[in-house]
Amino acid sequence: MTRTLDITDVTCPMTWVKTKLELERMGAGEELAVRCREGEALENVPRRAREAGHDVRVEGTTIRIVRA
Amino acid sequence: MSSNSRRNFLRDLAGSVRDVAAAAQSVTPEEPPEELGPEIEPLADTRVERYSRQLVLPEWSEAAQQRLGAASVLVVGAGALGSPVAMYLAGAGVGRLGIVDADDVELSNLHRQLLHFTPDLGLPKAHSAAAKLGFLNPEVAVEPYQVRLDAGNAAGLLEGADLVVDCSDSFETRYAVNAACCAARIPLVEAGVLGTSGLVMGIRPGETACYRCAFPAPPPDAPSCATAGVLGPAAGVVGSLQALEALKLLTGVGEPLLDAFLQVDLALLTFLRVNVERRADCPDCGTAYA
Repeated sequence: MTRTLDITDVTCPMTWVKTKLELERMGAGEELAVRCREGEALENVPRRAREAGHDVRVEGTTIRIVRA
Repeated sequence: MSSNSRRNFLRDLAGSVRDVAAAAQSVTPEEPPEELGPEIEPLADTRVERYSRQLVLPEWSEAAQQRLGAASVLVVGAGALGSPVAMYLAGAGVGRLGIVDADDVELSNLHRQLLHFTPDLGLPKAHSAAAKLGFLNPEVAVEPYQVRLDAGNAAGLLEGADLVVDCSDSFETRYAVNAACCAARIPLVEAGVLGTSGLVMGIRPGETACYRCAFPAPPPDAPSCATAGVLGPAAGVVGSLQALEALKLLTGVGEPLLDAFLQVDLALLTFLRVNVERRADCPDCGTAYA
C-alpha cells in the first residue's frame, strides 16, 4: 500500500522534516508518494531521501520513496 | 517602573507562564490515526516546527523527540552551568525540568549566569530561571525548588527523575548528588568549571564509573568561583557540553561520555578525555552493585 504526503504548503527544511518523519512511521519496503511544489522541494527531498538510503523515483511533482 | 514593581511584574509573569505551561500539559492529545501505529503518537505540527532543526538531523527521530518529551530531568543549580543546561534542555523539548537552587540572584552572577537579568536581582534563582524557561518553551513543565540540595533531601528531590544534571558549585553537593543518583540508579551528568577550565562526566550508576570512582576525595584547599574567578564563556562551553551529554543519555542518540571524563582547558583550547574505571571499593557505587 502506498502512503501519501502533501508538502505543498511548507518550505525548506520542513519539506524534508515532514517527509523524514512520515518515513520513520513506515515499515521497510513501504512506498510513500510525496506531492510537492516545483523548485526547492523537488531538489532537496529526493537528494536527502537518497542520502538516507531510500529508493527514490520522481514523477513530475510527485516523489515516490520506497523506505529502506 | 520601580525596582519593586519590576520584580512583582516578573513574578506575575512567571506565574502566568507557569499557568500556560500547566494548561499545555493538561491538553489531551488527539488520537493518532490507526495506520500510524500505536507505539508512537505523531508530533503536532507546531512541535514539528519547534524542533525541526533537530528532527532534521539524520541521527534524530520522532521517537527520540518523544523520549525527550516523556523525560523528567532535575537540574541542580541554576547558575553558570545550570543556565545553559536548563535552556538547552527546555529548548530541546524535555518534558519536565526541576530546577534546584537556594540562592538569590546577585549582581556578581550576571556575567556568566545567562538565565538571570539585572531586574532579577534579589529574586530566588530557581524562580527567575523558571520564568525564563517558561518563555523559552511553554510546553515544558518547569518546577522550581528553592532549596539547597544536601545528603538529607537529595533522595526526595531526585524522585521521579530520569536524569540528573549536576550544575552545583561545591564538592559537598556534588558528592551528595552522586551518592543519591547511585542509590536510586538515576543517570547523572556531572560538571565543574573554574577559571578557564572545566570537567564533564556522564554516569550510568551501577554500569559505569561514578563521580566518586573518578574523584574519591575532594582536592585539598579547592578554590571556589568567588576566590578563583570564572569566565562566562568558559562556563557556557562546559554547560553546553553537559547539556549535550544529557541529550545523548536521554535519547540514545550519539555516543555518551561514560567511564571517562572530559577535561577542558579553554585558555589553551585543549580537550582531554581521561578514561576511568569503576572502583570495587567505591562507597557510592562499589558495594551496592558488586
